[in-house]
Amino acid sequence: MFHLLKIDLKKMTSYRTFWVICGLYFLTLGFTTASGMEILKWLASKGAEFGASININRVPLYHFPDIWQNLIWISGLFKIVLAVMVVISITNEYQYRTLRQNVIDGMSRWEFLQSKILTNVLLSIMSVVMILVIALFTGFIYTPEIEWNYFFVGSEFFVAYFIEVFAFLSFALMLGVLIKRSGLTIVMLMLANMIEAIIKLNIFRSGVEDQIGWLKQFFPLESITNLVPLPFARYAFQEIQDYVALTAVAIAIGWAVLFNYFAYLKLKKSDI
Amino acid sequence: METVLSTNKLTKNFGKLCAVNQLDLEVKRGQVFGMLGPNGSGKTTTLGMLMGVVNPSSGSFSWFGEPATHHTRKKIGAVLEHPIFYPYLSGQKNLELNAVIKGADPANIAKVLDTVELTTRKDDKYQTYSLGMKQRLAIASALVSDPIILILDEPTNGLDPMGIAEIREIIKKIAADGKTIILASHLLDEVQKVCTHFAVLKRGNLMHIGPVDDVGKGEEIVEVQAYHDDLSILLQEFNGSASIKKENGLFEVMMKEGFHSKDLNRFLFDKGIVASHLHTRKKSLEKQFLEILADHTNS
Repeated sequence: MFHLLKIDLKKMTSYRTFWVICGLYFLTLGFTTASGMEILKWLASKGAEFGASININRVPLYHFPDIWQNLIWISGLFKIVLAVMVVISITNEYQYRTLRQNVIDGMSRWEFLQSKILTNVLLSIMSVVMILVIALFTGFIYTPEIEWNYFFVGSEFFVAYFIEVFAFLSFALMLGVLIKRSGLTIVMLMLANMIEAIIKLNIFRSGVEDQIGWLKQFFPLESITNLVPLPFARYAFQEIQDYVALTAVAIAIGWAVLFNYFAYLKLKKSDI
Repeated sequence: METVLSTNKLTKNFGKLCAVNQLDLEVKRGQVFGMLGPNGSGKTTTLGMLMGVVNPSSGSFSWFGEPATHHTRKKIGAVLEHPIFYPYLSGQKNLELNAVIKGADPANIAKVLDTVELTTRKDDKYQTYSLGMKQRLAIASALVSDPIILILDEPTNGLDPMGIAEIREIIKKIAADGKTIILASHLLDEVQKVCTHFAVLKRGNLMHIGPVDDVGKGEEIVEVQAYHDDLSILLQEFNGSASIKKENGLFEVMMKEGFHSKDLNRFLFDKGIVASHLHTRKKSLEKQFLEILADHTNS
């Protein structure tokens, strides 16, 4: 298994685009998640100009244990950047026809796909570790009084975050295998959410919404979004879902497996 | 001799087009096997099936007497159509990648780079290479696992005469090491120069298979020149001549079976004529090739 990961990393680590995109991803991810308080301060100052006042110290954005879900939700917005990287990585193999040469050289098609999937796993783990480190740092800085009893409440969101990133990267990998051309694949990746939203809008018209509305959670991109619910409404005194729903996890894992399986089917039966 | 490759009714259809039709081939160890055929005759498709990148529509093949898996391919060095490498990696890095995939000893890399004379450019990116260098790197990558079999598809495509000569020398050097080589080409001259056996494909059908040495067998052609005015009339009297053609001041006598140049020489000598030029020519592969293709068109 590490052998296959090594092969894919060997391809990527000398590729400048890989470093540029990954660098941008981890930098923006890091800076954004670490500078939430500064953004709040800025919002407060803007608010003050309009006569409203927000006491930012009353918003426990970076307080344990709120911080886990808060930071992870924000981080989820950045996964598209990694997905673009994955698309470039797979479509390059088609464009340069190196997929063909890899197979000629003695990789099976499944091994080839595995090497890509393993890289996706690695990128997902790196994202989790990155957010974990930032959350710990900023949490210790901003939390006035740490209550150890509640410290780990919500840390299961890291598992959800891993699945979220991995499932989305699997989706990107599958699109790349199906479409093969980088530009078109990236456009599809960008539009996927909108396409899914339009489909849902047409299926779940107002009349039938009540009866079959529960089916929504089975849609692939929705299932990925459902893993980590938006937390910030709680600061406006609204109920939020502050735990990871097991059904959401099951559905998202199901889709991640299917994405990779579809990619495998396509790869297996096509002439390359 | 041990059979390295055998195919059994191997077939590939692309929609309605039958690219390869019920192909039966057998290649034995140590052969330099040429696959000939016009463009689009199914050579590359056949090799693609043998190397696992094209799924056969029907039929089967076996390498080393066993059904093929991706592990078998690691023992084969192959370049199909064009050299394929990561353009942003150096020649060295590309070969390292090939070696990791094939499970080859990385120590071989320096050796094969030397064989194809690319050592001085090994750290330059592949995209900066000339076509000849790319072809040579492709041969190096095929050799990196010290394979038992080498498959080369049009290895001299697009090269200048010097590049062609270089590649030919490399192929000969490799063949001298006792490796089995399968060489697809439409350059007949090339196949005749390096191959021991050859097969001819046309629109996916196998037209001919046999040793290259057999090509020259059968009738021979003798070029004659002599200072005699009525040489052509005299030559017609010679009962070994099947036909006579004059070309560039030389007479080309197509011999009947069983007659050789020495018979013609004796005949002329008996007539009191001394030939100033006497040269036996075997039929070229090109001629044979065209005949094979023409035969089947008529039938």
